Amino acid sequence: MKPIDRSDPVGRRRRTATSLRVLQFSESIGVTVLLILVVIAASVTARGFFTYTNITNTVIIASITAVTGFGMTFAIAMGGFDLSVGSVQSMAAITAAALLSGTNVPLAIAGALIVGLAIGLTNGLIISKLRVSPFVATFGMMSIIRGAALLVTRGQSVLITNQPAFAALNNGKMLWIPVPFIIVLVVFAVLYGVLRHTPFGRHVCALGGNRKAAIASGLRIDRITIAVFGMVGLTAGVSGVMLSSQLLIVDGTLGTGFELQTIAISVLGGTSLAGGSGNLVGTLIASLLIATISSALNILKVAAFYQYLYLGLLLVLALYLDTLRRDILAASILNTGNGA
Amino acid sequence: MKGVETGSPRAPGRLGGRGAVVDSLLKYYIQWLLVAALVVLAALNANFRQPRNLENILLQSSFAGIGAAGMTLLIVAGAFDLSVAGILGVCGVVMATLVAGANTLLGILAALVVGAGLGIVNGFVVTKLRIPAFIATLGMMNVYLGIGFIWTNGQVVSVAKPAQVTLGTGVVSAANPVLLTLGTGTLFGILPVPFLVMAVVYGLCYLFLRRTHYGRFLRAVGSSELAARAVGIPVARVRIVAFVMVAVCTAIAAVLLTGELSSANAIMATGYELNVIAIVVVGGTSLQGGQGTLLGSFTGALFFAVISNALNIFGVGAYWQYVVSGVLLISAIAVQAVRSFVFTVE
Repeated sequence: MKPIDRSDPVGRRRRTATSLRVLQFSESIGVTVLLILVVIAASVTARGFFTYTNITNTVIIASITAVTGFGMTFAIAMGGFDLSVGSVQSMAAITAAALLSGTNVPLAIAGALIVGLAIGLTNGLIISKLRVSPFVATFGMMSIIRGAALLVTRGQSVLITNQPAFAALNNGKMLWIPVPFIIVLVVFAVLYGVLRHTPFGRHVCALGGNRKAAIASGLRIDRITIAVFGMVGLTAGVSGVMLSSQLLIVDGTLGTGFELQTIAISVLGGTSLAGGSGNLVGTLIASLLIATISSALNILKVAAFYQYLYLGLLLVLALYLDTLRRDILAASILNTGNGA
Repeated sequence: MKGVETGSPRAPGRLGGRGAVVDSLLKYYIQWLLVAALVVLAALNANFRQPRNLENILLQSSFAGIGAAGMTLLIVAGAFDLSVAGILGVCGVVMATLVAGANTLLGILAALVVGAGLGIVNGFVVTKLRIPAFIATLGMMNVYLGIGFIWTNGQVVSVAKPAQVTLGTGVVSAANPVLLTLGTGTLFGILPVPFLVMAVVYGLCYLFLRRTHYGRFLRAVGSSELAARAVGIPVARVRIVAFVMVAVCTAIAAVLLTGELSSANAIMATGYELNVIAIVVVGGTSLQGGQGTLLGSFTGALFFAVISNALNIFGVGAYWQYVVSGVLLISAIAVQAVRSFVFTVE
């Protein structure tokens, strides 16, 4: 505590804001450095990792996770989360596949997105109007939609055949860039704009940062909650479409553990579970990191079982770093924001 | 219930005779629900009334019911454990391996010890690394699944020694008489052994919660962590003890389930966490922490077993059970939330 700080409240506040911005920037740096290190390590140890085909595949896998990760980042910034995304992804994939056999590609995509959006809005309604916690509401919804997905498919697989236009959503390229990654960039651009440059984005963060203050200042928290969960459902629907165009054979068991992956990339990317801020850049980079590790482990022929282990441990590690970060943040606010 | 739904500002307890009925309906709603379900189903279906079927319901209720006893204590202490399915898998495969390779008693002991160890790990991650319980245990769930898969190489482990693997009802007792009794035996031909174990577990948990100072600590930590800390309760240790209770209960369920199936694998209990938490919540324990009802969880376990049995009898597929569990979970919480909102407005 330097004495000069006392006489200069504006400067102090500006410095706090700057240090927060530096902190947030350094969070993205941290996960980026990790990504670069992992890519280098994988290129050296795993033969066949640093090839155009493999990198394209890795980016496609990362894209499918990242899209829903963006939605999850909004939910976490608002102080909630959504455990039902895996079931929603599966349901959307099934819807797309089922509609493809009877209608055309745009209708199939629209149908899948509407299913995702509708389930997300239902989550939001249950949470805001029935006052059920996000944990219970989305946990229950996860089970309900999983059951529904298995029921509509009767536990069977649905095949997508002779749909080159739909398959191009996955294997198409624009200027060497795979289409899924372009989808991700578009979704990213839109959501980044919403989070950073619209009142809605600020309201989401305000609600996550201090719920009571948000209510007191007249924010319509019910609407915000419903909109955010609707958005998570919609992004889960998008990833469902992307997944079905990748696999071309879908069933009711898809997406198990997807909630874990999307929460993991959000937290790993620097979005704190405490709520109040969201780091979409970090989410994108963390999705690439997780996909790269998986891809390297596959090439090194590490059994798929170990991937459960590493994903679980990585999540716990990321959460522990989040705890430490909150400690640092609390300490820095105590030091610089005294009496502000 | 009526007073709640209409948003009436009157307290049900102050209305004399009618109030007492409403009060009892509210307080023991899960017990009344169970009775109603039993009466309706017994009247509707002759197969449901068969002693054999009732025995089956008691057996089916016990596996999730035992885990729910521990989970009730943990939720009272203000936390959850989503990793129980992983714990059950790990305990099951460790036990099956040891029973087949060494001896039965050692296998059972190992399952319980491993369960306690995993509970300590969960408690440590939540209290010392200060990660919210739901997400920490979600991560640990994956870790335990991974361990279970790696241990078994993704295979099913039989409890029988290789030479003894014999299937079919006539000679199955050659597999492992002790375990088979634990998993499928009955007392007086109607009370399955797992159900008796469940009753004992609930009795012990009740004594722990109501008659020991740790039980009081659990409630104190769950209702206000700050206050508990202020009066000198070792909050972290109390939480860890609660995680160990859940894990040991889950390990007991693993022993019984492995006994019933005569085998174990890493994913033998997929969805177990949902069943267990749904039982506790539908039983009437508040997710806010601080208070809980073991009687409610016990009844909740029976209620879910009756519902799933009825779904089977009426030929509704297994997939409906996911839907029913989810709907019951959300509606139980919604009713609680609306009820507490109405009472707060008073």
